[in-house]
Amino acid sequence: VNLRWLEQLGLARIVGGAALVLGLLAALAGTPDRARNARMDVESLARAVEHEEDHVTAIELAEWIKGRKPGLRVVDIRPGADFAALHIPTAEQIALSDLSRTPFRRDETIVLYSDGGAHAAQGWVFLRALGYDRVYFLRGGLREWLGDVMNPTISATAGDSAKKVFARVSDLSRYFGGTPRVGAAPVITPVVPVPAGRDSIAALRAKLSVWGRGC
Amino acid sequence: MTAPFFEYGLFGSAFSLIVALVVGIAFGWCLERSGMGSARKLMGQFYLTDLTVFKVMFTAIITAMLGIFWLGWIGILDIARVYVPETYILPQLLGGIIFGVGFATAGLCPGTSCVSAVTGRGDGAAAVLGMLSGVLLAGLFFGTLEPFYESTPHGTFTLPTMTRAPYGVVVFVIVGVALAGFQLAEWIERRAKSGASARSTAEAE
Repeated sequence: VNLRWLEQLGLARIVGGAALVLGLLAALAGTPDRARNARMDVESLARAVEHEEDHVTAIELAEWIKGRKPGLRVVDIRPGADFAALHIPTAEQIALSDLSRTPFRRDETIVLYSDGGAHAAQGWVFLRALGYDRVYFLRGGLREWLGDVMNPTISATAGDSAKKVFARVSDLSRYFGGTPRVGAAPVITPVVPVPAGRDSIAALRAKLSVWGRGC
Repeated sequence: MTAPFFEYGLFGSAFSLIVALVVGIAFGWCLERSGMGSARKLMGQFYLTDLTVFKVMFTAIITAMLGIFWLGWIGILDIARVYVPETYILPQLLGGIIFGVGFATAGLCPGTSCVSAVTGRGDGAAAVLGMLSGVLLAGLFFGTLEPFYESTPHGTFTLPTMTRAPYGVVVFVIVGVALAGFQLAEWIERRAKSGASARSTAEAE
């Protein structure tokens, strides 16, 4: 191969030409933004869902938080005002649309939650598509947390094994300031004291009552 | 392996200082090699006799730009995590003017003054001393300066988001502008050289 012409061209022209070619290809290549180029391995995601490896229960999450699981990040994807009124201890607030731009480390365990389960489950798909493997969502959302962790109840006529489980859950509940009950219907109360002037208890209850809508 | 390494927790802040040192030494070496440690050479930029500064800066810009674009495109670099400085119109306008006056007076900018000082040039050492005193003063009076420092905030701007043009198209346009700029710079340099030689011939006669 005769490369004499390369020498005659000179280094500056070669480098400049290379830049021009790379620039021209860049114009045709599409966006390099990772958040927009996420790839999904649909099969492995479906398998994770099937094997229930996609979510945690409120009790599991409570145990992780209490046990100070290394690298755990609890992420509240609801709006900031809702977060300010009430959130799970240790949680941070990141809007669903900001998830893709949030610097999570690969070795962190990310638990997403919203009011119910739907938005957090969608966030789970986004983060998995971005290549994060240790992502979970809280199955029943904040409602499950309020019911199972903050206000666990057991029927007065429950069997011994159920009572044993309940004793363990009660310990966990008290750790987070909850009120385990025997035989009573659960009454939902806010976990975190509501800051004065921001949101009244009545408004919060009204909000809780619309949670049935699913996200 | 995904970059930026620090953002992805590949190393901590202690090791990042070592990385910064190595990168800094390489940067300084390249500046010196391109002649940017000399105030005379830099002043050639303002008199349009020597456009090395322009050529070095623009070469660095398009090299880094193409590197970032393609590393992002093949999935090694997460562009969303590359830090983009925020814009504060008034403080940056004033800072730019002070910087420009200092640059034109000393013939050196912060990076080149360090290179100049390290290679034993007295004017470089003086510029570094001035820079450090300025940093110290700004730090001491930061409480007073802070309201101005944080005034007129406008968040981050990037050319693709501002122009709404696709990222790759912006890259291509900038490469084109740079290459045309290099041609123009060399033409200006040739003209300045021939003008200077014509003048010296005229003086000799």
